[in-house]
This record gives sequence, structure tokens and C-alpha cells, in this order.
Amino acid sequence: MTAAAQIDDVSFAHSGADTSALEHVSLSLPVGEIVALFGPSGAGKTTLLTLLDGRLRHWCGRVSILGASLDPDHPPLRACRADTGFVFQEFALVERSNVLRNVLNGRLGRMSPIRAFFGTPRERDLQVAKTALADCGIADLEDRRVDSLSGGQRQRVSIGRCLAQEPRLILADEPVSSLDPTRAAEVLTLLTEAALVRGATVVFSSHQPDLARRFAQRIVGMRDGRVAFDLPTSELSEAAMADLYRDAAQMPAISLRVAS
Amino acid sequence: MRARGFASFTAAVLFAGAVLWSLATTDVELRRLVSSGPRIADFLGRMFPPDPTVMEEIVSGSAETLRIAILGTLGAVLLSVPLGLLASETMSPPAVYRPVRILLALIRAIPLILVAMLMVGAVGLGPLPGIIAVAFHATGMLAKFYSEAIDGVARAPIAALESAGAGPLARLRYAIWPQMAPVVARDTIFRFELNLRESLILGVVGAGGIGFYIQTYVRSFQYDKAASVTIAVVVMVVAIEAFNGALRRRFS
Repeated sequence: MTAAAQIDDVSFAHSGADTSALEHVSLSLPVGEIVALFGPSGAGKTTLLTLLDGRLRHWCGRVSILGASLDPDHPPLRACRADTGFVFQEFALVERSNVLRNVLNGRLGRMSPIRAFFGTPRERDLQVAKTALADCGIADLEDRRVDSLSGGQRQRVSIGRCLAQEPRLILADEPVSSLDPTRAAEVLTLLTEAALVRGATVVFSSHQPDLARRFAQRIVGMRDGRVAFDLPTSELSEAAMADLYRDAAQMPAISLRVAS
Repeated sequence: MRARGFASFTAAVLFAGAVLWSLATTDVELRRLVSSGPRIADFLGRMFPPDPTVMEEIVSGSAETLRIAILGTLGAVLLSVPLGLLASETMSPPAVYRPVRILLALIRAIPLILVAMLMVGAVGLGPLPGIIAVAFHATGMLAKFYSEAIDGVARAPIAALESAGAGPLARLRYAIWPQMAPVVARDTIFRFELNLRESLILGVVGAGGIGFYIQTYVRSFQYDKAASVTIAVVVMVVAIEAFNGALRRRFS
């Protein structure tokens, strides 16, 4: 079985930065697994997810996503981009459009450019979008404008848009960082269950060790652009996770866990 | 503290100097100002009562002004879409948007009435030079506003659609346009309002519209008729402002 993603010795530095965002990172993600990227801010989690989404440029190393190798200097084909879905930390929704339109935006990569431009979804596009809405528990909000929704509802719309792509690899960048612990658990539950039903691989990044442990089968710990550990959740000690935050001034992850 | 005291002292001296220079060199005779009181009263008296028989001229003049404003705004929109794209940081490289922005600033610096006089010279009397002048003059501001609307669009939704596999046209239609549309609508209505106000006086230089009658009646000493036209202009400006205010609120 080919891996959902295969990363070999990838390094990357943002232009103008003196330290690398990723240093000699190698990872293999089996199909259907749910993986948490765990580590402090600036560890390279977002950069790694952006790389997997095919939106990073000018990196070195070898990457193949769902069997297709990525070109470090050019964006992947439209069809490949649609195969990887991305859930953005700040939702990245079109605020003035309604919920259904935002979710249908996830279908644009699956339509011909002409159909995408003129915006006439096929029956199947509508059906996939409505299923995604129902799975995210927001079927009743489809006519509401996004700028009238709460943070938790927006995150569900953002996940709905990702699911509407019918992605085989779902990448979620701190998908619950702006939600309270109860909402956070609900949103991760629906994301992982929707992925399970669709046979999709999930990589989500998080600061919160309890959520990583509860929802991921495997946890990849990152620090300073390197992979610190890559272990099945059952084999990972809490001490190893806390160690990633060893010189952080504060440990938001730990305090949040106690609070919840 | 001392530096600030010196700066405000300098500003006061400069200001006083400017006022004295203007008074001394403009030949303002205070005696004339005082003695002209009765003459101003006489002038105002001759405006009353306003002559209501010019209703026909008012209606046709207003209609022509409205047509000039509508067609002039349309012309400005057509010119501003490409120029706005060229003047935007996000759509054009610095080598393009910098010179285009300078060009737009130069266009804005030319007063409408001056453009209208030049156009009357170029194409003759009537509403056509007015329309051309309004379109040209308004483009300086409208293209700048459009470019700012493009540059003010949030980047994240565009990245999200790109990530989903949407092509550039689909991104324009579903991520950029929905964010821009209300701003573009608001700016266009605002510019239309300015165009209508400014084109009220275009007739004074022969570029069509209701201003023509004001000029005609004042020059032929028919102040009662000029008063009627002036009242009509005031009513029109107030009505436009109320109408556009209501329209703009829909796009906030």
C-alpha cells in the first residue's frame, strides 16, 4: 500500500529568516491514519501542513502526496490540490457569502474551469456539499451568511468546505484552537468521524496534549523545525510530550488540560 | 517644549503674514464693502419672488444634468475597471502600479470645470463635452478607490480556494469579487453623487445641463428666474444626498 504522504529529508527556510522552519524532516503517513502534529508555536507544524497541501515553494528534499511527487517550484495540478483538503486555523471563509456557497467553493477544484467560473453546480456537487453540511451538523444554516455565525459554526463550515472536496488527505491547522474545550472535542469528533467514513487520512496540528491523545492514533512531536518523536499514541509518555515545551515561558497546553 | 513653542510662533507669524499679504495686494476697499450693503439687499430683493414660469427649463435642464452624470459615471466605471486593476498592488507589479497611480493623481489634480472648458473647445457646446469631462475627472478618484478595494481583500479565503483546486478565474469570482462588490458599489454610488453635484455647474462653461440657465439668467439680469433655478439645484442636491445615503446603507 502506498503511503498517503511520504516526506524524505525536507528542509525549508522562509525567505529572509535566519533559522529553518523545517530541518531534515522525514515522515511517512499510512493511508487512513489519524495523526496529530504536536509542539510549541514556531515548531514548524503549519509549515509542514502547508508543504503537504502543495502550497509551499522552494523547499529541498523529496515529497510525494497520494502517490504523486511534488515539485518544489511549481504548484500541483488542480486535481491533486482537490485531493488534499485543508482546514484553516482562521477558517478562511468568504464572509459575505452564505454557508452553502462557501461549502460549494470546496467543489470548485472538481469542476471544469468554465463550470467553476459560471457557478452552476451539478446535481452531484450539490449532493456532496449537502452531505458535508449534514455531517458537520449545520444543514439548517445553509442560507445564513458566514459573517452572522459564531466561531464554532464557522469552524464547522470550514470543515464542511474541506469535506466537500472529497479529499483523500485532510490537513487541519490548529482546527480547534479558538474553541472552548467542549466545542473543541465536538469539532474533532466530527472531523475524525467524517474522515473515517470517507477513508481519508487526517493530519491535524494541536497545542493540546489531551486532544492529541484522544483523537490521534499517532503523534508526531515537533520542535525547532525537527521531528522530535513519531510514535503510536499508546507508546507515548506524557513526559515526552511535556518535554517539547521545556523552555517555553508558559505551558498553555498543560494549564488548559487541568482547566478542562 | 521650547522647540514646540518656537514652531507654533513660526506658524502664527506665517499665518499673519499670509493674511496681511492677501489684504494688502487684493485691493479690498473696506468702504466699498460697507456701502454695498444696500446694493446686496437690492440684488436679493430682485430675486424675490422667484419666477415659477421657468419650470420647463428647470425640468429639461435637470434631466440633462442627470443624463450627463449617469453617462459620465458609466464612462468613469468603464475606464476605472482596467485602471483600477493596473493600480492595484495585488494585481500588478510595482513597475506598472506606480506610474498608473501617478497618472491617476494627476487626473485628480485637474478641476472638472477646467476639463469641461477644454472639452467644449475640443468637441463644441452641449452635453457631450460635459459627459467626457465627468468621465475623465471621476476616473482619477474611482480607479484609485477600485484599486484600494482590490488590495483590501482578505488573502486567506483566496488561499483556501487555491488549496481546494480552484483556478484563477474561479478564485476571482468566488473569493475576491464577493469581498470587493459592496465596496465597489458604495464607491460608485458615492462618485455618482459627486458627479451629479459637480455637473450642475457644467452649463456655466457651455458643457450642458441646468447650469446653462443659471448663467443665462444672471447675465440677462433675470434674477427672479435665476432664483428659481438655484432653488431647484438645492432641492436636487438634498434629494440626491438622501437617496444615495439610503442606497449606501444597503451596502454596508
